[in-house]
Amino acid sequence: MPTDFKIVLFLCNWGPHVAYQTLQDQRADIPVEIKMVRIPCSGRITKALLFKAFEMGADGVLLIGCQSGTCRYGTGTAAALENTEDTRRIMELMGLGQERLQLGNFLPDQPEALLAFLQRFTEQIRRMGKSPIVPAANTTAPAAGGPSPEAIAAGLDVFACQDCGKCTSACPLALAGKSFSPRFVAAEVIAGRAQRPEVRAAVNACLTCGTCYERCPSAVNFPEFIKAMRHYYQGHELTPAPAHGGFFQSMMRAMTAEALVPRRWQELPDNIRVRAQGPILFYGGCASYFDIFFRKFLNPQTGHILEDSLRLLNFFDVEPVLLTDERCCGHDLLWSGDRENFQRLAALNARAIAASGAEELITACPECWHALSQEYPRHGVTLPVKITHMHEFLEREIAKGAVAFKSVEGRIAFQDACRQSRFNGQAELPRKLLGRLTNGTPLVESGAPSVCCGNSAWTGCDAFSKRMQVQHIERAKAAGGEMIVTACPKCQIHLGCAMEDVMRGEELKMEMMDLTSVIARSIYWE
Amino acid sequence: MYKQITITGFGGQGVVLAGRIVGQAAAIGDSLESTLVQSYGPESRGGACSAQVTIADGPIYFPYIQNPDILVCMSQSGYDKQYPSLKKEGVLIVEQDLVKPTDGRDHFAIPCTRFAEELGNKMMANIIMVGFLAAITEAVSLDAARATVAESVPKGTVEKNLKAFDRGWEFAQATLKGRRHKAAGQIGVVA
Repeated sequence: MPTDFKIVLFLCNWGPHVAYQTLQDQRADIPVEIKMVRIPCSGRITKALLFKAFEMGADGVLLIGCQSGTCRYGTGTAAALENTEDTRRIMELMGLGQERLQLGNFLPDQPEALLAFLQRFTEQIRRMGKSPIVPAANTTAPAAGGPSPEAIAAGLDVFACQDCGKCTSACPLALAGKSFSPRFVAAEVIAGRAQRPEVRAAVNACLTCGTCYERCPSAVNFPEFIKAMRHYYQGHELTPAPAHGGFFQSMMRAMTAEALVPRRWQELPDNIRVRAQGPILFYGGCASYFDIFFRKFLNPQTGHILEDSLRLLNFFDVEPVLLTDERCCGHDLLWSGDRENFQRLAALNARAIAASGAEELITACPECWHALSQEYPRHGVTLPVKITHMHEFLEREIAKGAVAFKSVEGRIAFQDACRQSRFNGQAELPRKLLGRLTNGTPLVESGAPSVCCGNSAWTGCDAFSKRMQVQHIERAKAAGGEMIVTACPKCQIHLGCAMEDVMRGEELKMEMMDLTSVIARSIYWE
Repeated sequence: MYKQITITGFGGQGVVLAGRIVGQAAAIGDSLESTLVQSYGPESRGGACSAQVTIADGPIYFPYIQNPDILVCMSQSGYDKQYPSLKKEGVLIVEQDLVKPTDGRDHFAIPCTRFAEELGNKMMANIIMVGFLAAITEAVSLDAARATVAESVPKGTVEKNLKAFDRGWEFAQATLKGRRHKAAGQIGVVA
């Protein structure tokens, strides 16, 4: 019974391929839906590649490798197991269902077992039906008709650039030794050389931290310029350089499918009180996905930021509403150039937020906050709620009084979130909150807001970002810092990654915690 | 219902105005009976001064207060002088930074002078105290007290004074919230 289901089979070249060939020689009844892709080792199929198949329209994906102990390269089987497990967990969380991805391990002499496995899986996919994800190729309209680079430069008045170089002298990437210069990008685009590969690479590499905009005497909004240029390249076959194999961009694009219903907030601790209806909505963001994705190397706990935020809301007698089908806000899609899919996500989110009936939306993620409060209106999506950052809520409640803090020991280095401190000029707010906890001990600072954590929008991570992060941590340590307090889950992941340097051992290790969690641990009723 | 409130403090802190606002709010806003006795004399040159407000839902036959149900102290000397007269089950409210209660009795405290300074004028400490008093004791309703504050302060300062009133009211709400949580054993977020 042929169907129009699409099943991608990543098949290891060694053990199982022999079994598969035997089946082909026997003209065995391999389900027609299965499209086989021969690969050198199942361990080399990353989470991004596994998921990419779904983004492109697969209804099911199989990864078949050698049995434990028979991997030609030693670690392939174990790596495949971990990659599949993590991807399955993410698929479950985003509502795609973990059953659509399966790992199989076979010996060369097990063709019957392999055939049974393939038929069973195909039967299961037929029962589950088509994947709700709409392949990106069918939805992404080419943006070729958008403004030209010259028009973008004119619209943002990049011509005001005086070529003074203050941007480059302050750019954290340039300071880390990369031959990168904001004014170079500006000058090249103005000169009509936007198509040069160097210019494209530079646009990709920018951290969009906003330091150059802060320094620019002509107030050229460089981050906005980069954002617009990335969108331009997106429509002109840019070879993007997303980090982590583009997994997160794939995931966000997949979430633009209306039929997909994420299953968020399934594992909330019992002592957190939430409501089905109410005036305050808590918007979590993608922290839970990050924790699964980075489990193997970093094991970040950014999901705790969300739990601690909910506990703090409860502490102040607020029982928030949660969107159980909450999607990504789309911030990273917008900032990696995919404006079309960002707008799709924004429209879906706007509908879900409006349907919740809430009056105020609180989020602990600076990027969600920035996207929802600034980028949505800019792209014609108005939300019927007041958007409040968790820090604003805390400041509002704490200022009413009757609460006190157990003071935090040790000197703190605060890591600003670029979307909060630079883009919205709110560097003072987290510092004010921290000031209440530190009992007068000054923060480790060398000019606030602090240097970028090394990346944004999962784009363009390289050795220079790493060097920048390492220098940043070294400086904080040298100045007597004992703990890094962050305000964005991504800062935690990026700085945590920098601390994992094998060559440096424990040298760079430092305690790190989100400001929300620090407050949750020290606040009490007076 | 028969509530006797004594407010004490230094001359100049606005103790009498606070008393008048509370009484007027009860009488006009909440349609109750109220009386006010203000102490004159050397006190108006500094030193302890007091306002005695009685609020009742029936006629009040005697306006003086021997043993108040609610005692508000905005100065240490006022506290020292009046505290012994407070009823056993009465409510004690003090200016946190200016009054140090001498025994371990449960009480409510608000640093209203500090708040007033933060709001730009320490003369508004009394209005903050009225907001706090109204929320803690529910002797007068929010609407009545707010409206009376707006009527009683000099024109041009209404907005500022209403802000001060809200500051006291919100601090009281936070205090009560904290007490509720503490009573339920929820002192911190994680504990």
